[in-house]
Amino acid sequence: MRNVKALAYLVTSMVAGGAGLIWTLATSLLMAVGAVTALGAPVFLAVTWLDRRLATAERHRAAWVLRQRIPDPYLPTTGSGWARAAAVAAQPATWRDMAWFLVLFPLGLVFGIAATVATAVTAALILAPAWAWSVPERRAHPLVRQAMGTLPGELLLTAAGLLAAPLVLWLVRRLAATQARVAAALLGPGEHGRLVQRARQLAETRARAVDAQAAELRRIERDLHDGAQARIVAAGMTLALAERRARDGVPVVEDMATARRQLDAALAELRRLVRGIHPPILTDRGLDGALNALAADCPMPVEITVDLPVRLPPAVESAAYFVVAEGLANAVKHAAATTCTVTVTIPGPVRVLVSDDGAGGADPAGAGLDGLRRRVEALDGTLIVASPAGGPTQLTAEFPCAS
Amino acid sequence: MRIVIAEDLVLLRDGLVSILTGTGHEVVAAVGDAESLVRAVTDLRPDLSIVDVRLPPTFRDEGIRAALRLRPDPILILSQYVERTYAADLLADGRGAVGYLLKDRVTALDDFLDAVERVAAGGTVMDPEVIQQLFARNARNRGVNALTPREREVLGLVAQGLSNSAICAALVLAPPSVEKHIGNIFAKLGLPASEDGHRRVLAVLAYLNG
Repeated sequence: MRNVKALAYLVTSMVAGGAGLIWTLATSLLMAVGAVTALGAPVFLAVTWLDRRLATAERHRAAWVLRQRIPDPYLPTTGSGWARAAAVAAQPATWRDMAWFLVLFPLGLVFGIAATVATAVTAALILAPAWAWSVPERRAHPLVRQAMGTLPGELLLTAAGLLAAPLVLWLVRRLAATQARVAAALLGPGEHGRLVQRARQLAETRARAVDAQAAELRRIERDLHDGAQARIVAAGMTLALAERRARDGVPVVEDMATARRQLDAALAELRRLVRGIHPPILTDRGLDGALNALAADCPMPVEITVDLPVRLPPAVESAAYFVVAEGLANAVKHAAATTCTVTVTIPGPVRVLVSDDGAGGADPAGAGLDGLRRRVEALDGTLIVASPAGGPTQLTAEFPCAS
Repeated sequence: MRIVIAEDLVLLRDGLVSILTGTGHEVVAAVGDAESLVRAVTDLRPDLSIVDVRLPPTFRDEGIRAALRLRPDPILILSQYVERTYAADLLADGRGAVGYLLKDRVTALDDFLDAVERVAAGGTVMDPEVIQQLFARNARNRGVNALTPREREVLGLVAQGLSNSAICAALVLAPPSVEKHIGNIFAKLGLPASEDGHRRVLAVLAYLNG
C-alpha cells in the first residue's frame, strides 16, 4: 500500500510539476504587468490566494506520503489593498510556495520518470512469460531478445524481475519520501514562521499566566482579609476589652480564652491558605511523597506510579501536584469514581496522567480546570481534558523537560 | 520531667521553655537543629523530646527523620501543619510514646501539658486534624460509615489518644455509656476488644491508616 501511495505521488507530481511551472510563470508575468497598473494589489492578492490553496493541496499530498501533518506556515494579515499585499509579500511563506512549484517541475519530472520506468521494467520482466504467451508476434528489446525465445529464458527474466522488485519498491519509496520531505521543508513553516508562531503563543500564555497570577493574588488577599486578618483583629478587640476590665478589677479569664480561640481560628485559616498556595509536604518530600500523600488521603483506591529519577523544577512540581489534586478531587466529588490511576513519567516531556472510572462530563472551561490549564501553560506545558459524558475522565498534563 | 526541645525559631523555643519550666518541668537542652537534637538525646537521656518538623539546614522534614532515628525514645512532634503521612511514619513501629500536634495546641495549656505527660508515659497523642484527615480518607469505609454520629465522635477522641475518663469529660457522658460506645465501635470495625490503653489507640489508628 505504501508503494502504491509512493508511486501515485511521484506520477501525479510529474503533472503537478508541469502545471505548477506554467501557473507560476504565467502568474509571475501577470503580476509583473499588474505591478505597474492600479490592479497590482488585487492581482497579487488573488494570485497569492490561489497559490496558497494550491500549496495547501501540495502540503496534503506530501503529508499523505510522509504520514505526518505539515503545519500551515501562513501568518494572519490585516488591512487591504497595497498594505495587505505588502504584508503578504513580506511573509517568506508566500515566496516559498512559489519556489516549491518551480522546484517541483524538475524534481517531479526526474523522480517521476525514474520511478515509472523502474516499475514498468520490473513489471515487464516479471510478466515476460505471460507476455510471450499472449503476444506471439512480438518485438522484444535487443537486450532480452535471446531470452524471450525459450521458456527457461522467460522464466529467468521473471526471476530477475522478482529479484529486482524489492530494490525497485524501496527506490520508489525513497524517491517519494525525499520529494515529500523537500515539500515539507519548503511548504512547512520556516524558521521565521516558527519563531513568529512561537512568539505569539508565548505572548498568549504569558498574558494568561499574568491574569491567573493576578487573580490568585486577589484571592489570597481576600482570603487573608476575610479570614486570618479579621480573626486577629477580633482577638485584639477581645484583649483590649479584657485589659479594660482587668483595670476595673473584673475577672478576665473568659475573655482570654475567647482571644485564644480566635487566634487558633486565625492559625487554622492561615494553614488552609498555605496548603492552597504551596503544600508543605511538596517542599518536604518532593512530588513522589506529596502525590502518595494525596493518594493516601483519597477515599478511593488510587494506583500511583511516579517514575522520576530527578527532582523537577519547583514550578513544575507544584503544577503537577495541583493537576493530580484537582483530578482526584473531581473524580471523588463529581464523577463518583471508584478507582483512579496516576502516573508521572519522564523522559521526554514530564507527563502527568490522571484517569478515573467515573461518570465523566467534566467541563474543561470550569473554574478549576481552566485555572489549572493556565498554570500548566505558563510553564509552556499542555493540559488535555478528555471527559466524555458517561466517562471515564482523563487529565493529561505535559511539561517540557528543560523548563 | 526532663525534656529536650528542638525548635529553630527562637521566639517559639523560648516560649516553649518558659511554658514548660513554668509548669514544673526541666528543660535540659533547647537546640536548633536535628544533629544537636540527636546528640542531646543520646547524651542526656531525657524523659521526652519535643521536636519541630522543619529544622535547618534544608527546612524539610528533618524533625520527623530525627525522631525516627531516636525511636523508641518518647517524642512529641510539633508542627505548623500536620500531614497524615508523617503520622503514619511515626506510628509505624507500633510502640507508642509518640505524639504529633499542631503548634497551635500549645496555647491550650492544660491539654498540651496533659499530652506531654501522656507521651512521656508511653501513650499516643494525635492532633484532631490528623484524625480529620483519617476520617476523610475513610469516607467510603463501610465500617466507619456504619457508626452513629456519636460513635464517630468517640472514635475520633479515642484516636487522638484520650482515655475513657478524658472522653467522658470531653463529651459530658457517664463512664458506662462511653464504654458502651467504645464496645460498639470496636465490634463494628471488627477490632479485637481492648482495654483502655495505648494498644487501643494504636489499633484504632492502624485501622484508620490501613
